[in-house]
Amino acid sequence: MSEKIYAWLLRLYPSRFREAYGEEARQLVRDRCRDEQGFLPRLRLWLDVLSDLALSLPQAYFHVRPELPSYAAHLHSDGGPAFVVLEEESLGPGAWFVGGVLGLAAVVSFSFLLNHGVKYVPLGALIHPARGSADHHPSSFAPRPPEPARDSQLPAGAPASGEQREMVATSSGPGNTAAQDAQENAFTPTDGSHALGQQGGQPQPATNAVSTLAGAGLDRAELERVVDGAAANLKEHYIDPVVAQKMADALVEHEKNGDDDRATDGRGFAELLTRQMREVSHDRHLEVLFSEAPLPEQARAEFHARYRKAMEQANCTFEPVKVLPHNIGYLKLNSFPDPSVCKAKAAAAMASLNDADAIVFDLRDNRGGYPGMVMLIAAYLFDHPVYIYTPRENTTSESWTRSPVPGSRLANKPVYVLTSGRTFSAAEHFSYNLKMLKRAKLVGETTGGATDVGVFHRIDDHFGIGIPETRAINPYLIPDWAGTGVEPDVKVKAGNALETAVKLAESKLQKK
Amino acid sequence: MPKRKLDPLPSAAFQILLALAGEDLHGYGIMRNVAEQTDGRMRLGPGTLYSSIQTLLDAKLIEETEPREDAKLGHARRRYYRLTSAGRKLARSEAERLRDLLRVARSRKILRGEYV
Repeated sequence: MSEKIYAWLLRLYPSRFREAYGEEARQLVRDRCRDEQGFLPRLRLWLDVLSDLALSLPQAYFHVRPELPSYAAHLHSDGGPAFVVLEEESLGPGAWFVGGVLGLAAVVSFSFLLNHGVKYVPLGALIHPARGSADHHPSSFAPRPPEPARDSQLPAGAPASGEQREMVATSSGPGNTAAQDAQENAFTPTDGSHALGQQGGQPQPATNAVSTLAGAGLDRAELERVVDGAAANLKEHYIDPVVAQKMADALVEHEKNGDDDRATDGRGFAELLTRQMREVSHDRHLEVLFSEAPLPEQARAEFHARYRKAMEQANCTFEPVKVLPHNIGYLKLNSFPDPSVCKAKAAAAMASLNDADAIVFDLRDNRGGYPGMVMLIAAYLFDHPVYIYTPRENTTSESWTRSPVPGSRLANKPVYVLTSGRTFSAAEHFSYNLKMLKRAKLVGETTGGATDVGVFHRIDDHFGIGIPETRAINPYLIPDWAGTGVEPDVKVKAGNALETAVKLAESKLQKK
Repeated sequence: MPKRKLDPLPSAAFQILLALAGEDLHGYGIMRNVAEQTDGRMRLGPGTLYSSIQTLLDAKLIEETEPREDAKLGHARRRYYRLTSAGRKLARSEAERLRDLLRVARSRKILRGEYV
């Protein structure tokens, strides 16, 4: 018995050793077994064998062979790399079997984890637990619904239009400018109604006859229609089909359990559904949206014409460049307009900043716009192409600014960006990237926290869903501004931001 | 390479050389002799024993003789090992080294007794 066990243990030794001394070693154990009868001697024998195994096994493997130095010398003389086979023995069937089983297990468990175990959790959710306010604030998140009364746009990221999607936040704060008013008036729905939008976050009684839902209870059919629509859209469009299925199931489940009956109005219902989806996916880029005014079904061309006209009237929301004392250039940008419409206006504005010694971008009333315009303006601030992170898009050659811009002398001048809690979306995109690239100092308040990553899908006249369809890679190890906003470098009240930025710029310029 | 392995001489190798100083022995014989000459403190396991033997063979400190039977241990033919003159020389110099060490220990009153 002992001898058999030892014969098995002997297989742990290198084949070279076994060939030379295997039989002898077995013989030795046999001899000892014969000579050392009884419990204690046998115990001692085994203690000896095991401690010997522990000591001599590593030695047997680390034992440098006499022939190895000659190989080493050979390698050195050649200078090139070479392989030396130290163990001539081929693999036994047992080794093949174990290797095969382990390999198969690795492949199976990896693919299982990929599909079930690993889900995308934004880093932000791990580091800072979701802020309550951010999760409930109706204007904090992704794609803004097209609300004809205010910033009225086509659904943010109108699908498959082939045109660049806009990043727009719709909530409106005080301090609207003439330009904005002009823009907004232009977007009043063609039927002449003038829904009041979501001012103050309270549902307003709508004058539009179609908006029967506003302020009133939701009927059962509407609830079911929205839940089914959201579920169907998730399954069709969400990046991760497994998670999409789970979310869809959860939505239907909640609806069946009567959880949705708590919602008293459309906005509350949309928020409820949003929470239900995020509970499953932890994806802050997902959102169900509610619009009091009916959502347009197909209005791209009409929208574009109106947009163009409004932009022309409003100087593309660029306010005239001012030159402040100490030759500080000041540009107030109230949106990042469509570059296909406003490229020339942007170029003119940037050209008039060219002679300034420092630049202040005022984005305190900027509620978003087009990533293309963000790229266009950012390009002036660098003397070489830089990567601009866009949460909505995968990296392409368009993700780098077209810097340097010929004739621009802005590349090395100090830049300050004024932000407020009403700075949204594309304006946050601009602020975030300049901050992460350490190209600008952000002065003011934490921004609104709207990434507008999702592509908007219309569910019915009043409900839509924003679903992220790409998973952009953020090169910075901190989460983007979804739900949390961009923290300014210098935190002051929005009202004092300009004054503070000017002081900073002055002291910086004086140091030079 | 063997030179480095045997410098300093491992105690197992030295004990093997000492065991073979009296007579030619097979592996088990060496093991028993070593156990005897160390009052049972060192019982060489097969792994240590044969890898030490291999090292000593490589260094030509011992050599293998013709296999033969051990009358006391049945009819199996066994490999016997014999000390070479180089092995004897090395064992002697190792013993001398230990003797010198012992002298020092005695002079420092670590070990009582007469000088060797």
